[in-house]
Amino acid sequence: MEAFNNLMYGFGIALEPMNIAYVFFGVFAGTIIGMLPGLGPISALALMIPITFAMEPSSGLILMAGVYYGAIFGGSTSSILLNAPGVAGTVATSFDGYPLAKQGMAGKALAIAAYSSFIGGTVSIIFLMLVAPLLGKVAVSFGPAEYFALMVLGLTAVVSLSDKSLVKGLIAAVIGVMISIIGIDLQTGTERYTFGAAHLLDGIDFLVVALGIFALAEVFYMLLRGGGGKEQPRNAIGSLKLTGRECRDIAAPIGRSSILGFFTGVLPGAGATIGSFLGYSMEKRLAKDGDTFGKGNIKGVAAPEAANNAACTGSFVPLLTLGVPGSGTTAVLLGALLVMGVTPGPAMIESRPDVFWGVIASMYIGNLFLLVLNLPLIPLIAKILDMPRPLLLALILIFCMIGVYGMSFSVFDLLLLLGFGLLGLGMRLFGFPAAPLILALILGAIMEESMRRALQISGGDWSIFIDKPISMWLLIIAALSLILPLVKKAIAGARARA
Amino acid sequence: MTRLNVNQILALCLALVAVGYLAMAWQIPNFPLPRPVDSDLFPKVLGFTLLGLSLLLFLEKPKAQDIPDELDPNEQAQPLLLRPWSRVVITSLAIVLYALLLAPIGFVVASTTLSFGLAWYYGYRRHGVNMAVSLGVVLALYLTMTKVMDVYLPTGILPL
Repeated sequence: MEAFNNLMYGFGIALEPMNIAYVFFGVFAGTIIGMLPGLGPISALALMIPITFAMEPSSGLILMAGVYYGAIFGGSTSSILLNAPGVAGTVATSFDGYPLAKQGMAGKALAIAAYSSFIGGTVSIIFLMLVAPLLGKVAVSFGPAEYFALMVLGLTAVVSLSDKSLVKGLIAAVIGVMISIIGIDLQTGTERYTFGAAHLLDGIDFLVVALGIFALAEVFYMLLRGGGGKEQPRNAIGSLKLTGRECRDIAAPIGRSSILGFFTGVLPGAGATIGSFLGYSMEKRLAKDGDTFGKGNIKGVAAPEAANNAACTGSFVPLLTLGVPGSGTTAVLLGALLVMGVTPGPAMIESRPDVFWGVIASMYIGNLFLLVLNLPLIPLIAKILDMPRPLLLALILIFCMIGVYGMSFSVFDLLLLLGFGLLGLGMRLFGFPAAPLILALILGAIMEESMRRALQISGGDWSIFIDKPISMWLLIIAALSLILPLVKKAIAGARARA
Repeated sequence: MTRLNVNQILALCLALVAVGYLAMAWQIPNFPLPRPVDSDLFPKVLGFTLLGLSLLLFLEKPKAQDIPDELDPNEQAQPLLLRPWSRVVITSLAIVLYALLLAPIGFVVASTTLSFGLAWYYGYRRHGVNMAVSLGVVLALYLTMTKVMDVYLPTGILPL
């Protein structure tokens, strides 16, 4: 009953006319940005930060949450129509979505994606509403040692689940933390790594890094690849209608994948990409017609779409209740919240119920908009994919520039943006994952503070991190998350040699 | 002498960064009052971690994803200024120029010129559409930022 009353309170906030407009705008903008190959939810959210800067925190987060699910859904559109997933979380959708499009059933595939996203999102919001406050109550007992261990776990989980090299993931994370400590140490007033530059005394704004590493690096990468790849001819979209039999066929996969997606999203480091692949492979195994997966099976679109949207909502659980983002995308959201003056964590449910419940209620509304907006607009939105790539690249650059300059009014930051863009390009070319860097950048300062506070309490005794059971277990899980993939790889290598 | 692979070259560069970082960590002044943990501890931990990871990277065999893909030979055969890496360099120079000219000539002129110029340079030849889109988007952003969000953007040479 308490959850219901809180939700009604949240609806009171989310249904304010301005907030409805923000959700609508967020879902729309997210869908368009997510559709553009290469620009995923992280870039979409980073581009929105300057807009949300001056907003009420609840409205800002409502807008960004809309952008987030919009971007994930938008990614499905380019996956299905072009076989060019705009977002990693929609790669699995392209396995069956694109073959359906080639058979002239793109409309059907897009409609299934919209319905599945809606149901996946809605189911997981119910779980979020029930799970988050419980987790928040547990998290209140966390001290600095537990927080430090939790952040280490968040970082190692993101690194270990990346499809790139574990060592390179860890290097990216360390560099992220190194960037985060540039500036004046707030505990002692000592300057660190500022090279005497006054511009660096306040540290490097995460927006500069996020836009550089993701959006600008993507522009550079597309330039290296001949301006973003060759345009592909598209077939007609076809009808959006589903038959009764098709609805029955996809009902169970959507239900199962929604639940699986939510719990995958809750785990630090997992999120939409893993969720969608797990949903897809689970349905492929369970389906009687599993051999037709990859050739245009509608269940192969429904499962990953329900799972990725559910995982997006699930990833809000650690962010809102523990203040620890479980993915690069929620790390950007955390950064945006900090910019708006809100510190997410267990106390937020009590201290800022407007933000917490407003966001949850806005998720229901956002999902509804996603359905209402995307179904009729699918043919129209698809035309944006025809935008000439040279013009698109130039405009993305302008968005990056205004994003940075509008926030800091600093020419120095524009040059830093360029530097991070080139760093991001180098990382991309040499197989370094970018998500650990951005997550570490956000967590770095809080991690150091937690570590130092814990050591202050213990008088410099490092055993505080293993004396406390929660902290000890979190660190053990963190270590295992790094060791297990290596052990698995070693076993697989030994088997292959045998 | 065996040739170093891409991971080993990267590892050596990162090790150099780590050594430089550690050298600077030792120059961080101590806080006047004794504390269990001072400002230099965390940077030292980070520096040594990066050094250790560089060593691991040195020993790791590069996979396909660690080696940059070959660039399109047709793109490489283009005139020097239009080759893939030239595009990155010229875009970077354009950003530097934009940063330096933003305040003197103003946001609208600088951004429209950058957007129009880069789209033209990347190969878009419908100049009317290019100008209309560049100016339209920049003006929309400018008016949203200045009139709706009360964010000051330099007006420069235009009396806006």
